[in-house]
Amino acid sequence: MDRNSTGLVFVLPALIVLAMLIAYPVAYTGLLSVTDRQGAFVGLTNFKAVLSARATPQAFWNTIWFVGGSIVFQVILGTATAILLNQNFIGRGIVRSITLIPWVVPGIVAATTWAWMFHTEFGIINYMMTGSGIIPEPIGWLTNGNTVMPVLIAINVWKLFPFVAIMVLAGLQSIPNDLYEAARVDGANFWQEVRFIMIPQVRSVIVAVTLLLVIWGLNSITIIYAITRGGPANRTLITPIQIFRLAFESTQFNQAAALSVIFFAVALVIVIIYIRALASTPGEAK
Amino acid sequence: MKFKTLAVMATAMTMLTSGVALAGEVVWWTPNFNEARARELVTKFEQANQGIKVKLEITTTDGLPQRVLTALQSGAAPDIIDVQHAWVNGYAQNGLVVAVDDVLKDREDYIPASLDYGTWNSKLWAIPYRIETHAVIYNKGAFKDAGLDPAKPPQTWDELVAAAKTLSKGKVSGFAITGGGEVGNTIFRSLPFIWMNGGDIISADGKKAVVNQPAAVAAVKFYTDFFKNKQSPASTLENDGTANRRLFIAETVAAYQSGQFDVASIKKENPKIDIGVMQIPHPAGKPTAALLGGWSFVIPSSAKNQTEAKKLVAFLAEAPNQGALTDTFPARKSAMSLPRFSDPILTVFKEMLPYGRAAPNNKNWVQITQAYFDGIQRILLGDEDVQKAMDGAAKDIQALLDQK
Amino acid sequence: MSDASTLKRTGLPLPITIIGAVIVVLICLFPFMWMGVSSIKTLPELYTVPPIWWPETPTLGNYYKVLFESNIPRYFLNSVIISVGSTFLALILAIFASYGFARFDFRGKPLLQSFVLIGQLLPTAAIIVPLFITLRVLGLVNTYWGLILVYMIITLPLSVWMLTSYFKAIPVELEEAAIIDGSSRLGILFRITLPLSTPGIVAVIVYAFVTTWNEFVFALCFATDSSVKTLPIGLAEFSTEFNTDWGAVMAASVVMTLPIAMLFFSMQRLFVGGLTAGATKG
Repeated sequence: MDRNSTGLVFVLPALIVLAMLIAYPVAYTGLLSVTDRQGAFVGLTNFKAVLSARATPQAFWNTIWFVGGSIVFQVILGTATAILLNQNFIGRGIVRSITLIPWVVPGIVAATTWAWMFHTEFGIINYMMTGSGIIPEPIGWLTNGNTVMPVLIAINVWKLFPFVAIMVLAGLQSIPNDLYEAARVDGANFWQEVRFIMIPQVRSVIVAVTLLLVIWGLNSITIIYAITRGGPANRTLITPIQIFRLAFESTQFNQAAALSVIFFAVALVIVIIYIRALASTPGEAK
Repeated sequence: MKFKTLAVMATAMTMLTSGVALAGEVVWWTPNFNEARARELVTKFEQANQGIKVKLEITTTDGLPQRVLTALQSGAAPDIIDVQHAWVNGYAQNGLVVAVDDVLKDREDYIPASLDYGTWNSKLWAIPYRIETHAVIYNKGAFKDAGLDPAKPPQTWDELVAAAKTLSKGKVSGFAITGGGEVGNTIFRSLPFIWMNGGDIISADGKKAVVNQPAAVAAVKFYTDFFKNKQSPASTLENDGTANRRLFIAETVAAYQSGQFDVASIKKENPKIDIGVMQIPHPAGKPTAALLGGWSFVIPSSAKNQTEAKKLVAFLAEAPNQGALTDTFPARKSAMSLPRFSDPILTVFKEMLPYGRAAPNNKNWVQITQAYFDGIQRILLGDEDVQKAMDGAAKDIQALLDQK
Repeated sequence: MSDASTLKRTGLPLPITIIGAVIVVLICLFPFMWMGVSSIKTLPELYTVPPIWWPETPTLGNYYKVLFESNIPRYFLNSVIISVGSTFLALILAIFASYGFARFDFRGKPLLQSFVLIGQLLPTAAIIVPLFITLRVLGLVNTYWGLILVYMIITLPLSVWMLTSYFKAIPVELEEAAIIDGSSRLGILFRITLPLSTPGIVAVIVYAFVTTWNEFVFALCFATDSSVKTLPIGLAEFSTEFNTDWGAVMAASVVMTLPIAMLFFSMQRLFVGGLTAGATKG
């Protein structure tokens, strides 16, 4: 019983702060979603209006595509970078610091700089690629329906893979040396070490980081909003941006609230499924 | 009913705790490009009205709509806000700003379209102080190089198409349209063409989407064909008005639509360019048209010093003060005679003003223009032909109009 | 200790490592270098077709403008105060909460743990208006405290989450020995658990600091007075209605990014040092 209350006392201050800042906004959003501009109760009208909009399903699939695509590459590149930076070489410290720069640069700065570099006319990327003959003529990276989403995913990957890299690197560094020594006694080469020691040992870090990436991805506005605002023709419209635009560009606060409620519910389900799936994975106890 | 009680309680609590600003201190949000001129006017006003203090808060246009909305919705807004004309109706219909009929003087002195924006439910909700329309800015040198007479710019659609074709050579694009950036960029540039051709996006009574009818479709085709026929730059889908100006300065665009605010920066950044200005070309036999833009003052319903705020707005609305504050043209005709508006390069822009029209007052106008803009982008992307894209836009717009 | 052990490892062949490192560095740095080059270009040089690599007349005018003719220095100070304050508060709250979650069992723990994470899921756009009203009620609009508190929503959940897993990874036996010695829970937390969790603490600091330093949307809406505006808002102020002063934006970006990059550089040793210490103890 003593343990019970002590734990709660430790946790309480953080909980109070969060409750104050979260409970009210959540309640207010719920209220907005079932009322109209004048505050009168309108049932599910707002939900019907958002769900029947042509953009909503498109935004939903775009979100999955954007978040999913980003995470796969963030995790792969981040882990690879972490393994690379765990090697011994001169200048490793500097390289490690440099790797973090994309994550450090403010999202809005990164977005505008990249948009600037990808510009069809003034952009350095088209200039370099046409100059070296990789592409015959400038490509409208951000305006071509086939390239815009991959480019945005690439920018998002660039922004966040360093975070995966530091987290995994921290995991790698905490692997006890005995494990490597044992493997060496068995004659393991580098790739076998990666496969049988490093990956299994940092698996829990990767799992945790992936959850973070899911959560961030589902909430990311800055990069896409600053670069394309969801265009062209809604090709890159993701649900958080749809909410933002409904609220602040169209002044449809009630519809925006309804969409938030739906989005929040879906996001919650995804996260719960993910956590459940992990909880049932054997060997995750550590 | 309960919700209303809650809302009232929330407001009451807000009012109780928000007495931070001093009584009698009028807080005025104005954009950064107005700052210097606004300060002068404030000094003048304070001298004439002892006892009223004015506090200027400088805003930036980036994210301004969001900030204004947040402030208005929170029930703790400043006393006066500078907003773009087109935002006013949304505020009025949501009860976020107060009527200002009692502030307006000399109604007949205002350009009528500027008052149309602020009118809803037969009341006036904002005092316009600044107006502008687009014209076509062109590079006289490029005209000469292409063998065109820079003194005789195109006047009709056919002449513009022909000129754009002649001008488009090598790296130069003859006539740049916009297809990216904020929706407003493309509305400002393409809607006038629809109007000139006798069409519209929604019917005058606001009940029917008419953007897929022949007059509108022909105008949209005229507009988007500049890109399809490669007379507008390859980057059109990412270009807004600013990007077009950049390309004009880099001399890869020979002509584009914009307002007079572009002239100064072109002169500064590339003095070599001999700038010409022409009226926006129109279909043969029909008058030209333009969308009227600009800025107004609103007084939020939750402003604490409404009486003082109204005094300040009335002061700022006086013709000489409008003339001093505006970055482009004043909304009052009598202020137009001030010397700063007599620069010859402004002549054509001034000529365009009487053709300027207000965008329709519809509470879903932003979403309507978004649906229309999506249609334009589908055409530019090559996804759909003009008729099909506009049919799709009309369907989306109709759904918005049918909403209660 | 760490040197001796790393020598024994097998590893990637050195050339591959070097090539990989060079590629990573290029990818990470290129946009940043482009930003730096752009910051010393004049406006016409920024907008040439095709772009130029190096300006003919490099200028420090943009930096002069940023440092002496704008509000950037003041915003810099605001950013420092808000980021440090918010990081510190998040760290303190997170240390206690995480310790509670990691070392105790109590009723409703899973529920409370999920509640903490849920905060992270709220759509930013949807909670701005209600949050603004909350701050207004508390009288915190346009104050440092307002932003510091609001940033808790963003930083606290993950900080708690990260630290909880770090604390869990520390063997309980170490603490149990101390309990037998008669130390209090708080004493154990500060004398035994925290020193072993340096990497976790550093990670939380870095995460919270970077996040608050870069945050844009909340700052835009809740800080309307220049006495509390932060740097990202300052960046936006170089955009006027019809013009973005790109040179100044890029210069301000550099000014904004350099200190935090330096901070990282200095943290690097602590970070690695803390990690190896934790690893050898384990």
